[in-house]
Amino acid sequence: MSIRTEPLIGVTRAQPRRRPASLAAWLDREPVFSWLMMTAPILFLAAFVGYPFVYGILLSLQDRPVAHVGTFVGLKNFVRDFNDPIFWRVAINTFVYTGVATLLKMVGGLALAVAMNQNFRMKNLVRAVLLLPFIVPTVLSTVAWMWMLDPAFSIFNWFLIALGMPKPGPSWLGNPTLAMASIIVINTWRGLPFYGITLLAGLQTVPPELYEAATIDGASGWQRFRYVTLPLLQPIILIVTLFSVIFTFADFQLVYVLTHGGPQNATQLFATYAFDIGMGAGQLGLGASVALTMLPALALLILALTLYMRRQ
Amino acid sequence: MSGRSRRDFLKIAVAGAAGTALAPSLGRAADKSVTLLHESSFIKTFDEYMQKTLAPAYEKETGVKVVYELTSVGSLPTRISTITETGSGADVTMIFLLYPFLFADKLMDVSDIAEDIGKKQGGWYDAAKEAGIVNGQWKSVPHSNIGQLMNWRTDWFKEVGVTKFPDTWEELYEVGKKLKAKDHPFGFELGHGFGDNHGWIYPLLWSYGGREVEPDGKTVVIDSDETARAVDFARKFFKDTMLDDVLGWTDVSNNKAWFAEQISCTNNAESILWLAKRDFPDIAKVTDQAMNPQGPKGRFHLLNCIGHSVFNFGPQKQEAHDFLHWVMEEKQLGGWYASADTYYQPFLHAYDNAPMWDVEPRNKPYRDAMGSAHLPGWPAPPTRQLAEVVAKYVTVDMFAKACAGASTKEVIKNAEAQLKEIYRTA
Repeated sequence: MSIRTEPLIGVTRAQPRRRPASLAAWLDREPVFSWLMMTAPILFLAAFVGYPFVYGILLSLQDRPVAHVGTFVGLKNFVRDFNDPIFWRVAINTFVYTGVATLLKMVGGLALAVAMNQNFRMKNLVRAVLLLPFIVPTVLSTVAWMWMLDPAFSIFNWFLIALGMPKPGPSWLGNPTLAMASIIVINTWRGLPFYGITLLAGLQTVPPELYEAATIDGASGWQRFRYVTLPLLQPIILIVTLFSVIFTFADFQLVYVLTHGGPQNATQLFATYAFDIGMGAGQLGLGASVALTMLPALALLILALTLYMRRQ
Repeated sequence: MSGRSRRDFLKIAVAGAAGTALAPSLGRAADKSVTLLHESSFIKTFDEYMQKTLAPAYEKETGVKVVYELTSVGSLPTRISTITETGSGADVTMIFLLYPFLFADKLMDVSDIAEDIGKKQGGWYDAAKEAGIVNGQWKSVPHSNIGQLMNWRTDWFKEVGVTKFPDTWEELYEVGKKLKAKDHPFGFELGHGFGDNHGWIYPLLWSYGGREVEPDGKTVVIDSDETARAVDFARKFFKDTMLDDVLGWTDVSNNKAWFAEQISCTNNAESILWLAKRDFPDIAKVTDQAMNPQGPKGRFHLLNCIGHSVFNFGPQKQEAHDFLHWVMEEKQLGGWYASADTYYQPFLHAYDNAPMWDVEPRNKPYRDAMGSAHLPGWPAPPTRQLAEVVAKYVTVDMFAKACAGASTKEVIKNAEAQLKEIYRTA
């Protein structure tokens, strides 16, 4: 008995020693380990980005009331969207909102970055304070704006009335044009620090020698900005613009809290309209189709900017 | 060293993932509980009564724990959608407006509860049946109505010689003109809120004889002389009595304006008086409430019903059903209603003369209004098309655009085109 078991025990002992050693060696191989490390993010992206995206596309092709099984309808939801006058209003609103707000953020952010790049007292403190609009939760800051835009409490109205405007002053959220202008200003206020701080980081990488050389060559302040700063900042401006357009185009919280798309859909954007149809009316397929119509415009823009950057 | 740490990392990751996946199911297996999902109440004592009195009492009586899960105001539809789509979550849910109809396929038939409770407690108001019965089955047991009525400043109305709230829209308009001239305008929401806009727009349309769609749920009839008269009235009512800002208001706006003493009349739930009594006693003294004015075709109110439904796919649906039955019994329900005074107006006739109505007699119009209350879109049946009409603010915006200056003909034509497009799928 003992004669027969000894060698067996020896064999079984030997195996576990070899296996971990080979497993460790296998894990240590760079291609294996890198793939292992990549697996988690890939699964994460597939689960939380890929799956919802594909599911959204499938939903948009179905007549899918909430709590019901969907039926495939092809592109009918998109046809319904295109026949819906509010949809076109929403499309125009979204492009105006994104275009104007991004432009304002770009120009304002660049000015902010240039100003912040100067030497002055308490520079670091001011830079930190400038980030506040970006840090404060959107819902919270929007509620503060809601009070500021209410004619009864508005500091703007108080100021305008003091200057002679008849009471109660402008109705910021009741007038369609002013309402759109208001949400653009608030979005700009919130997004400016992102532009400013990112461009400031870019500015600080510009070698001072270039400015010195330009100055020696007789360049003015504007010329130094135009021919030295701007070309060197261009790649960063493009990347920040790309992010900003994506965030602004799909903006939801600000409008949802402040106007809920009113007055008369003057501030309704793709994201809020899709939410109202999907969640408010329970039409998940139709809501998904509205949300997905954002995709071609964003994809084209991203493609154009990426190609431009590559060419640069 | 580095190899070992990599393996350790992987082990920890796998163990963590397995633990996370297993933990909830192990926990659930040991529970005997029912989860009731509710929107956080404006009246804190209402939620507290469930948490501190009803839930412990039920656990003591049956051994089943009641988990009272609160969600923020406005987020309930999203939560219900998530539960029905994923098939997991609460067992019983608060439900309101058109949602029993939208989610009907995922809700248990609770006709036995509704019929038993109705029989024992004086019978249901017709409005309760309108709100809870889907294709002949009760899909929710109605709990109460959160009525939307007229809130008015007695002191300012008195300044223009009015001591009793006007009976008709035209009379209210005449008073409003005088009050606006004295810098006490009206404020009725015409923006994209959740309820204060529909709260007066639909009753106004109905009281002039207008309607969106016929009871067949297909025929669009918004383009009528009755609608035109209602729109014409709304335009002059807005122009001559109100603040311009109401066009952009959401549901919080009229409350802010009321407590800023900016407006003399609005349409809101009882919460205005309730909050005034708590935080602004001087304003509370001069606040009164009245039923909506009547138009040429009668007096109407918006049915803002809340009820409770049981999901038909949950593992504990029978326990949930039994709990709902228990909580709707008079012994429990009476106390629950009383905990919120009359903010939740009972749909059962047994409570018509309950002592809670004497706590604040100014709330009595909310009880009287339930006899003429209907769901948005009435007399069309509650359908997915109707839900889309409400979510797209078709009728609210028809009135709002007219108030902002568009012609009556144009706004009605636009609304009609939208309604026809939506009802094309009916």
